[in-house]
Amino acid sequence: MRGNRLWAGVHCPALALDAIEQVVADDGPAAVHEQLLGQARIVQANHPALEQGVRPGQRLAAALAILPCLHSHARNQRAERQLLEQVALVGYDFSHQVALAPPDGIVLEVAGSRRLRGGISALLETLTEQLHHRGIAVRLGLAPVPAAARLLSRLGRRAPTLAELHRQLAGLSIDRLALEPKLADLLSGCGVKTVAELMKLPTAERARRFGPSLNRHLEQIHGCLETPLAHWMPAQRFSLRLELPTASDEVSALVFVFRRILGRLGDWLRIRDQALTGLNVSLEREDGGSPLSFRVSLARPGFDGERLLELIGLKLEQIHLPAAVDAIAVKADSTDQHRPPQADLFSAHNRADAWPALLDRLGARLGEDGLAGLATRSDHRPERSWSWVSPGDSSACQEQRPRPTWLLPEPRPCKPEQIRLEEGPERIETGWWDGQDCRRDYWIARDRQQRRLWVFREYKPRTGWFVHGIFD
Amino acid sequence: MPDARRFQPIEQLLESRNDLWRGRHRPAGDALTSGRAELDHWLPTGGWPCGRLVELLPERLGIGEFSLLLPMLAEQTRRGVPVLLVSPPWVPCPQHLERVGVALEWLVVVRSADQALWATEQGLKSGLCGAILLWHPRSRVRSQAIRRLQLAAECGPAPAFVYYKPGQQPPPSLASLRLGIRPGPELTLLRGNDQSKVLHLGRGNVIPLSTSDMAPTHSRDQPERSDRIACKGQTLWESVQ
Repeated sequence: MRGNRLWAGVHCPALALDAIEQVVADDGPAAVHEQLLGQARIVQANHPALEQGVRPGQRLAAALAILPCLHSHARNQRAERQLLEQVALVGYDFSHQVALAPPDGIVLEVAGSRRLRGGISALLETLTEQLHHRGIAVRLGLAPVPAAARLLSRLGRRAPTLAELHRQLAGLSIDRLALEPKLADLLSGCGVKTVAELMKLPTAERARRFGPSLNRHLEQIHGCLETPLAHWMPAQRFSLRLELPTASDEVSALVFVFRRILGRLGDWLRIRDQALTGLNVSLEREDGGSPLSFRVSLARPGFDGERLLELIGLKLEQIHLPAAVDAIAVKADSTDQHRPPQADLFSAHNRADAWPALLDRLGARLGEDGLAGLATRSDHRPERSWSWVSPGDSSACQEQRPRPTWLLPEPRPCKPEQIRLEEGPERIETGWWDGQDCRRDYWIARDRQQRRLWVFREYKPRTGWFVHGIFD
Repeated sequence: MPDARRFQPIEQLLESRNDLWRGRHRPAGDALTSGRAELDHWLPTGGWPCGRLVELLPERLGIGEFSLLLPMLAEQTRRGVPVLLVSPPWVPCPQHLERVGVALEWLVVVRSADQALWATEQGLKSGLCGAILLWHPRSRVRSQAIRRLQLAAECGPAPAFVYYKPGQQPPPSLASLRLGIRPGPELTLLRGNDQSKVLHLGRGNVIPLSTSDMAPTHSRDQPERSDRIACKGQTLWESVQ
């Protein structure tokens, strides 16, 4: 069985940096530092910084002395973990067996989808390309066993067969094994320099001198022992919180982060075969105030990143940010009950989805109340016989009595001598059951400009004449 | 040897036939019927012109300027084509709309006045709406805004209508059709070759619901006297020309 398996290891050599660059739109020299033994030291640096002499391990103060314009951000391990999950999600498109290899790698079984993707090389190439496209630098390794795939991915080597793997392993120097520093020191102290030399030592001797874990590791990378793997599955519900290394109240900076979030959301929706119905966004304030929340609802389940970004942009322009935002949390509502978009047979223009898209765009800027449909309601009182509803939710019930073209939002008092009654009356006496009882006589009347008005004389609760509508 | 013409793209083939009705799609230069034969005949475009801006200048609001368009709105919504009413002056009564045949689920009202022009432009540019009616919300009408709407209207297959309220000064217009509406209602072409042409659509501000109900002899020859009197001295729109 094992002979048929082939594992690809994905190693992210610059995960800490990539995780920061996901949320910072800046091309200049950048680095990530962390506190080690009370000193801030550079962990990773990007190309412009490396060219200027910034090195991993350097003290931050030294790096800033070399390159004063360096933007160094504190390492964010939570963001790294999230990004690693994203790598796994992309990998899940290539394999049903994906396992995380924290802190900066994953392994996936690729023999199963070799034919689908047109061969191993093509598969690995596509995978690299897709991850690069998402701003994640990777190195790939290939081996018949997962532990070796993980090891070779750090070196970017491929060993498709067990024999080839053993040959490559034999030539490896000990420091490539990524052992614990203590163990590595111990081995070099014994004069063991390569894996081949280490393997020559008797098994019992190795266990006694270096502990049982080394033997287990060696057996796993040589394929003599099964590597225990916790299979990774994409989350049931999409929820993501990205922290901004520097708080910002600029819409453009937030939109940049949203673009990343939507990119990940798009991957998740595709892989879980879900359609988005709404997005709950929460902007966390730097000053610790209560977060600003808004919701983007879609009139029809689906996902169109550019359109959604436009909707979010409209929302952001609308709300006034009282303080800079230092984190964005997004929770998605999705459904698996969806129909893939269909194009018009003749014009290839996707019309069925375009109308909800237009409503979404209008609604995002106009607000919930700014855009409405009309519905009738069965109530005798004319001001209660209609209501605003969300577009498309209209219902209608039959009304045989004459009703005007226009209704005034509120009946307006008028003087009876200004109007001439023409038709009527229509007595409306109702509403005693909910305490809003009224008694009115409706007439069609003319004003001095010859407009036909819908007027009523009210007896209860007020008395007097009112205009309620206009027959256009 | 197969004839090359037999392998034209289907789109091209369909376009070449103007007797083919393709559901939502209408060829350019077309006009929507106003629902009244008399009006269609009177309008220089033979109906409401698709992809064009029509300016309507009612002498005052509520004299039939909305009812004028209701048969067309009813027809569009019945076909499942959405229509947009942007910042109407009052609430369109759903019972009445329902009675004249408007399918309410395809009627959307933009209630906010300050985003009215933007919403209209978005609606027009989308090319999805069967008609857009805008009651111009600003007291000062900028000609650039109207120009923008006109350009946007050309993107879509639908006619767009702008109502100027009494007191609003419409800009010198480039719109293809500008109609004055007086109580009656009676329509005047404010742009076009024959500006003296007047159409009496109804009497006493009542437009009959359908053409068959109309008695042309009445409306054409005997406009209600009181309207005539009311119209005297009303030269608001004449100054526009």
